[in-house]
Amino acid sequence: MAEKLKGKEVSASLREELTKKVEELKGKGITPKLGVIRVGARPDDLYYEGGIKKTCGGIGVDFEVFEYPEDVDQDSFEKAVKDVANNKDIHGILLFSPLPGSLDEPIIRDLIPVEKDVDCLTVGGAGKVFADDPEGFPPCTPTACMEMLKFFNIPLEGKKAVVLGRSMVVGKPMAMLLLRENATVTICHSRTKDLPQVCADADILVAAVGRPRMVDKNYVSAGQIVIDVGINEDPDNPGKFCGDVNTADVEGVVGQISPVPGGVGGVTTVILCKHTILACEKQTT
Amino acid sequence: MTAKVISGKEVAAEIRADLKKKVDELKGKGVHPGLGVILVGDDPASVSYVTSKSQGCEELGIYDELIRVSADTSEEEVLNMVDKMNNDNKFSGILVQLPLPDHIDEEKVVNAIAPEKDVDGFHPVNQGLLLRGEECPLPCTAYGVQKMLMVSGNDPAGKHVVICGRSNIVGKPLAAMLMQKAEGANAVVTVVHTRAQDMSYFTKQADILVAAVGVPEAIKADMVKDGAVVIDVGVNRVEDSSKKKGFRLVGDVEYDAISQKASYITPVPGGVGPMTVTMLLYNTVECAERIAGV
Repeated sequence: MAEKLKGKEVSASLREELTKKVEELKGKGITPKLGVIRVGARPDDLYYEGGIKKTCGGIGVDFEVFEYPEDVDQDSFEKAVKDVANNKDIHGILLFSPLPGSLDEPIIRDLIPVEKDVDCLTVGGAGKVFADDPEGFPPCTPTACMEMLKFFNIPLEGKKAVVLGRSMVVGKPMAMLLLRENATVTICHSRTKDLPQVCADADILVAAVGRPRMVDKNYVSAGQIVIDVGINEDPDNPGKFCGDVNTADVEGVVGQISPVPGGVGGVTTVILCKHTILACEKQTT
Repeated sequence: MTAKVISGKEVAAEIRADLKKKVDELKGKGVHPGLGVILVGDDPASVSYVTSKSQGCEELGIYDELIRVSADTSEEEVLNMVDKMNNDNKFSGILVQLPLPDHIDEEKVVNAIAPEKDVDGFHPVNQGLLLRGEECPLPCTAYGVQKMLMVSGNDPAGKHVVICGRSNIVGKPLAAMLMQKAEGANAVVTVVHTRAQDMSYFTKQADILVAAVGVPEAIKADMVKDGAVVIDVGVNRVEDSSKKKGFRLVGDVEYDAISQKASYITPVPGGVGPMTVTMLLYNTVECAERIAGV
């Protein structure tokens, strides 16, 4: 049976490290603060916001929500975002997306200063991830995956890593981060022929394709390490979530696997705090 | 199998012929592409690059202006020149020839170029757009490789492309381009590098193999699958006393042996090399179109 790579252990260790860091900063009279910008009140956003608030509170990071009505117009919203961007007390900014169709999202995203862009929403942030510039923060989810791999001492140098999915929130930045650690990286997607074979060839498989339980035993091989990034509505259990991996089908084959729920997801919000703390350190020294 | 040779000279000539027409058309609409080049110092290789760029502009009817200053020019002066060009409508493209002298911060200068005029595609904003798969000036060598594949009938869609080398100038941009959901892309892309335990494990899987490692003839015939398309980005000097200059140019692949195995191959010289300047001209024209919104 595959060993489960539990996010909880990773989060706990990270939280401990981060709490100490925040205490040190507070000793110097500095409190890291995350600003969350939300338009409307989508249940998904509210759920995520609740999780962030709790994580921030536990670590000692200040947290403020800037909430705007769904019918906010472009000009006043731009002004509002600029105000948050210029607020010296706020070190990291997260903007819930997608924004309502009446707003020009790319323009608004790029109002976030790159140094406060803790989830890689700006194009400048993406450029820094591409160029391996440590001044840029990669998106939280792929960073959480890297943190999991590091925590469980999974070597990457010289290994075959396969990233399934090419989204800008996970797949593409994930490929860049794995390359930084000297893995050989293959990025594949739903248009790939022989997809199961490409995935099975990996030492480390990162599934981020957004299709419930698509990765079954045809996609994996013995001893493989599987990171399941998917959070999909479970078609068989309404109201529940499942990953991109059919865990029951593969757990007799692979070596280690991150479960859903209980894997990468919970680590992501801790990374958001980590990025905010790092941003705070850079902005205040 | 004897590989067909993809001549960069021929592909570049075709692209230039199309570009010339495009430039004429744009001028008819009142849009005049222009390239501003800043050359600091007199490094012979840089002078030669800059000259071929100017010649290309002249050939295609693109306005071009070269500012050539001595190697002791200050960073501030260079930044001022860039700033002027950013604000001058004559220029749809700006190029600061690299490398710059040590006292000038290259990154600072590259970042000072207006992203919409950054014809090298090295500005962080353009690198971000590239990774996202949005429209932007694409790094010239990588763009040239993609064009060569398309013109030779080797659309990467659905193919396994293996890229040897992960530089910010060739390997990574090409990977980012070919993995997108877009025309001329949609490939499965593997990026492999010198830290891999066994590079040949990956190169043998390639339908399309791109060598950009900067090591003379590092890719041997036994590392290549029968019928693969082999694109050689390397340009290396190796000593050769039989040549007048004392050296000859070789690529990153063992050309003679691989041309017996591959279906297509690019030569060195005369392969990817001539594409790079052509794609710079292409970017200058594309930037003019984007800026003018036509």
